[in-house]
Amino acid sequence: MLNKQLDFLVALQDLDTMLKDIEDVKALGFEVAGKEKLQEARDQLVRKINKPLLSNYLKLQMRYKRSIVPVKDDVCLGCFMRVPTQLITRGRSDQEVILCEGCGRILYWYE
Amino acid sequence: MEGRELIKFFSADLFIPKLKAKSKADSLDEFAQLFARTRVIRKKDIVLELLKQREKLGSTGIGKGVAIPHGRTTAALEVKIAFGKSEKGLDFNALDKKSVHLIFVVIAPPQDENNRYLPILGKLVEILNESSNRKKLLKAESFEEFIQVFKEAE
Repeated sequence: MLNKQLDFLVALQDLDTMLKDIEDVKALGFEVAGKEKLQEARDQLVRKINKPLLSNYLKLQMRYKRSIVPVKDDVCLGCFMRVPTQLITRGRSDQEVILCEGCGRILYWYE
Repeated sequence: MEGRELIKFFSADLFIPKLKAKSKADSLDEFAQLFARTRVIRKKDIVLELLKQREKLGSTGIGKGVAIPHGRTTAALEVKIAFGKSEKGLDFNALDKKSVHLIFVVIAPPQDENNRYLPILGKLVEILNESSNRKKLLKAESFEEFIQVFKEAE
């Protein structure tokens, strides 16, 4: 079960990626069934996310396409700026949503 | 893309010669656990959610005893393919309604700049369309035997 706001945001971005892929495939002339079910799942997920977080996610999506970016070797892979040590500790603890001080995108730690 | 180019996306720790799962849902859970255990992803639930959502678009059981659940997730840093074999076969609601014995789970990051995701899926389908390859994969008991099939595929 997904129970943290960051997990919900990651799941939302995954659903948005899938929905975008469907649009791309449709643009090529293919029919894709089941889009409504995904949209329904997205609507349900959105209701679980805190409004300010969701609003920021959507704003970042408008600006960058992808709101959540990975952190590798303590570097934001969105803008390639090094993440300050105090944010690394907080980010790795996985208890809160951390934004990159360089580009403002939501950071996701892999390890 | 050639068959041997797929080899780098497989690994021995993502190879399950005998799946424990008795259903499609259980198999997705087993693969999600495997991805988390091998640190391909940090949390099982995110990839499990992705695979479940993908099935809503239509079964990934492509027929001839093969299923390829797949998806792009923020939780993955690189493209990885897990493989599992079910001796009894699983009901994946496949296109031809046949039980699925060979399951390949492909996960990829959304930011894969090399755009390898679709060519990888395409090549997998092409290789698995060959009945001789499917037979070899059904017989493969070790990771080495499994990889040999892709080494020999064009």
